[in-house]
Amino acid sequence: MSADRVLQADVGIVGAGPAGMAAANVLAAAGLRVVVLDEGHRAGGQIFRQLPVGSHNAGAIAEPPSHHHGHALLATFDQSRVTLRCGASVWDARPGRLWFEQDGASWLLRCRHIVLAPGAYDRCIPFPGWTLPGVLTAGALQVMVRGFGIVPGKRAIVAGSGPLLLPTVTALLSAGVHVVAALEASSRWRALRALPGVLGNGARLSEAFWYARQLLKAGVRLRWGWTIFGCEGDGRVQRAIIGKVDRSGRPRRETAQTVDVDVVGAGFGLVPSIELGLHLGCTSRWHEGGAGHALVVDAEQRTSVENVFAAGEICGIGGAEVAMAEGHLAAHAVLHAVRGTAVPVAVRKKARRERGAADAMLRAFAPLPGLHELAQADTVVCRCEDVTLATAQAAAALYGSSLRAIKVGCRAGMGPCQARICGPSLQALAGREPTRAMDLPVVQVPLKAVRSETIVNAPPA
Amino acid sequence: MTNTRIPGLGERPPVEFTFASRSVVAQAGDSIAMALWATCDLTLRQSSRDGAPRGVLCNMGICYECLVVVDGVTVRACTTLVRAGMHVELGGKP
Amino acid sequence: MAETADLIVVGGGIIGCAAVQHLAQLLPRSTRMVLCDRGAIAGATSGSCMGHLMVTPDDAQEYAFTARSVQLWRELNERHGGFDYNPTGALYLADDAADIELFAVLRQQFIDCGDRADILDAKQLRELEPGLAFDLPGALFYPGDGVVLPMLACRAMLQEARLHNPNVSVRPNCAIFGVRRAHGRVLGVDTAMGPIDAPIVVNATGVWAPDLAEMAGQPRLPIYPRAGNLAITGHHVTPIKTQLLEVSYIRFAHGTAKVDPTRTDDLGGHAVNMQPQTNGGCLIGSTRQFRGMDRTLNRELLHRSLLRAQRYAPGLAAAPIVRTWVGLRPFSIDKHPLIGPWPGLEGMWIAAGHEGLGISLAPITGLLLAQQIAGVKTAIDHRPYLPARFAP
Ligand SMILES: Cc1cc2nc3c(=O)[nH]c(=O)nc-3n(C[C@H](O)[C@H](O)[C@H](O)COP(=O)(O)OP(=O)(O)OC[C@H]3O[C@@H](n4cnc5c(N)ncnc54)[C@H](O)[C@@H]3O)c2cc1C
Ligand SMILES: Cc1cc2nc3c(=O)[nH]c(=O)nc-3n(C[C@H](O)[C@H](O)[C@H](O)COP(=O)(O)OP(=O)(O)OC[C@H]3O[C@@H](n4cnc5c(N)ncnc54)[C@H](O)[C@@H]3O)c2cc1C
Ligand code: FES
Repeated sequence: MSADRVLQADVGIVGAGPAGMAAANVLAAAGLRVVVLDEGHRAGGQIFRQLPVGSHNAGAIAEPPSHHHGHALLATFDQSRVTLRCGASVWDARPGRLWFEQDGASWLLRCRHIVLAPGAYDRCIPFPGWTLPGVLTAGALQVMVRGFGIVPGKRAIVAGSGPLLLPTVTALLSAGVHVVAALEASSRWRALRALPGVLGNGARLSEAFWYARQLLKAGVRLRWGWTIFGCEGDGRVQRAIIGKVDRSGRPRRETAQTVDVDVVGAGFGLVPSIELGLHLGCTSRWHEGGAGHALVVDAEQRTSVENVFAAGEICGIGGAEVAMAEGHLAAHAVLHAVRGTAVPVAVRKKARRERGAADAMLRAFAPLPGLHELAQADTVVCRCEDVTLATAQAAAALYGSSLRAIKVGCRAGMGPCQARICGPSLQALAGREPTRAMDLPVVQVPLKAVRSETIVNAPPA
Repeated sequence: MTNTRIPGLGERPPVEFTFASRSVVAQAGDSIAMALWATCDLTLRQSSRDGAPRGVLCNMGICYECLVVVDGVTVRACTTLVRAGMHVELGGKP
Repeated sequence: MAETADLIVVGGGIIGCAAVQHLAQLLPRSTRMVLCDRGAIAGATSGSCMGHLMVTPDDAQEYAFTARSVQLWRELNERHGGFDYNPTGALYLADDAADIELFAVLRQQFIDCGDRADILDAKQLRELEPGLAFDLPGALFYPGDGVVLPMLACRAMLQEARLHNPNVSVRPNCAIFGVRRAHGRVLGVDTAMGPIDAPIVVNATGVWAPDLAEMAGQPRLPIYPRAGNLAITGHHVTPIKTQLLEVSYIRFAHGTAKVDPTRTDDLGGHAVNMQPQTNGGCLIGSTRQFRGMDRTLNRELLHRSLLRAQRYAPGLAAAPIVRTWVGLRPFSIDKHPLIGPWPGLEGMWIAAGHEGLGISLAPITGLLLAQQIAGVKTAIDHRPYLPARFAP
């Protein structure tokens, strides 16, 4: 029964975001058979998210100038001979093999080469009331507006850190939401460190101006050095408590004020989605500054595992321009492996330039350790297992301060998200200095929760 | 509540399903989570230990906060598209 | 200058924690006791296993050993709780009529031990567990078994220890890499955090017990890792409420058939063991295979055991699996744990080798060890478990 659930390709790509699409376009144009797997329901990834088939954005939802790259990329992708499998969750892999679940069925993709482009997800920092319905990640609000055309609410607060707050605010504004406040935890001075990355880069500069103009038009002022202290409400969020933080991100409780809202978006940067890479055995590195673990790639996007390449956020948070440039480069590296053709120098240079600019940005918005003081003793830190901060701290004190110790000591990180949400802040919360490298998560199959019968019926390698 | 969709994007064909035995009309291509958001149903599951209400957190299949039961099977509401006639129940504590 | 202690327990798994608990209860309050683990407390086998508290009625000794231990679990729960103790009893399931014959045998064993077990027909079984397959011919229900979450139980044990003895020091991330000795006596240990002098060292290192013995200049103990693959579902999906196992599990897991742990070509086997979690998840096991310390998943064996679980509980087919992993059971060559002094080196004690019953047996192990160290009468006959049986 599983015989017909096997696909063959020269290259299997995980992720149909800018990195995955850029790679796919080059490879397909060169005549290789390419299969792209994505858990979402349309190509685009996080940033170039498309509305469902049948809806069209003819200007109702504002788009920054960079999005014309996205349209071009998507147009080429749609016309290419790439096979795109949507709603496909990759749950197991080894070099040359990707197992995925689609519509409850178990599939295998056999391919010579793998390009990993699974992107990133929002970094969460727990605060009181963040489990209330209506409190979402910043990314979730973008998906709601740009991916589904749904209005998130009437009055919103956006809080967190990093360049992603801006697209979240503009998405809300497009949907007619009153953005009561936009709170950036970093100080304006710290953010200046991002300048070298922006100034040297025309695209980033015009992007920044575009966002500034959108906020100005709507009368939304970005408040530097502010964040969300907590949320309250009966069955859903109704009020947000906001206030100032000191330079290290510590809440200055005396500045707290309460505002009425019906939706909150919180995002403290992004975490690279490296699980698949770790499972394949790829080497990773800790980004100093506390931004998380990312896969290590060589100058042409090769991971440490033969025939496995990686591009985009999985190699470190960088945004769409980096993702596209690296996807492009990864494709040329694959072509080099298959056909022996040289990797164009310009392609390599472009990717390195974009990455350099992105790294400056990343340093400017590295997670502020003091934000971990937002959570109170009874704040749930692991949402899957309902573990409070006090319980996690007690576990760390007795069982040890490693991720493994906290996990076995209180179940934090054992639930269906497998510590993707709590993991990045768990060790910092439970007592270890937040700037130290956190432990690498130990991944196991299934990489995404799948049906028991999907595992049982997995086509043999 | 009405007007929970951004105007001017073009309407897609209606899809009817039930949520907690109540009829919901969504549009083809909606995820369950977003269809229910449009009808102001924010609570999708109850937490395991204390039954507190939980809803969409990441909206991209990472956090599993949106688990609901569709025709007896637990799925993520944000990655599962609506299908005509499906029965959706709150996830979590039965 | 070396730190001094009266007693060091090496290994913070369930056995080490139970040992510390009972030692703290029996020895004077002033005893300076240190528990060292090279990783996390409960980070090795005791955090990678199932939590079935199982009473085995093979013979009177075995019954006393397991039943008394399960009783101690009940008492720990009454005093502390916090480890998802759930007295579900156990259902032994039969696949077909041939298996049913085993029910009568097993039931008689329980009766011979002065206990009871009930044979359920298909209808009674369905009433108890409506989520099971319709064609199951029946089951044997033993009410005395239960379920715990072993890693959380370690905390309860250590808390209990500290109630009796505030001098208990618990040190995760503190590896032991040498056992110092002179004139046939233990003098102390070398740890990652410096040396500790102590006249008594307890080896509770599970599958690593042979390594620690070697560090102490002794022959390797005949304990071998026996791998088990497990899978856990998401919350609130389990169609079962009771600890379930195939009746053939008994033969498979605790049978007397000869196995050779040193073979390198063991294909392994499996028998279903399904365990309801308090969050409504289901833990699915279990497989057994000798292949050294290798902890990579054996997909083939896991698939087979998942398939088998679906055969009994068809609803599990669509249940989301959240994670899978491998744990290493400390299998002792004669299938009995080693509890007591090691004759070759004075001050060296052992509590290890519990294979697939270490959770069930942790409390009685801790008690028997502590009673021997304290020099008081043991609760049950401890002689079958004396490590001396393996002394050269
Ligand atoms: C919600 C959100 C909004 C963002 N908005 C902006 C923005 O406005 N501007 C900006 O510059 N950057 C933004 N970013 C940053 C963004 O990550 C990058 O700009 C860009 O999208 C990265 O491209 P990528 O190809 O690396 O990954 P992505 O675009 O994230 O694409 C990865 C794809 O892989 C799929 N995937 C992941 N794991 C699996 C799996 N196991 N099985 C199958 N499919 C899988 C995902 O569904 C996704 O579609 C945003 C990020 C997020 C999370
Ligand atoms: C899949 C599976 C299912 C199971 N199901 C059940 C069940 O349902 N019921 C049941 O009763 N039993 C069950 N068991 C058996 C049970 O888990 C074990 O018997 C028990 O956990 C063994 O505990 P332990 O303390 O001896 O070993 P461990 O938990 O492994 O503890 C030993 C500790 O010693 C430490 N250590 C080792 N060397 C050193 C050193 N040099 N210095 C410092 N520290 C060191 C290790 O880090 C480790 O933490 C199962 C086992 C498996 C694998
Ligand atoms: S909202 Fe996070 S998985 Fe659906």
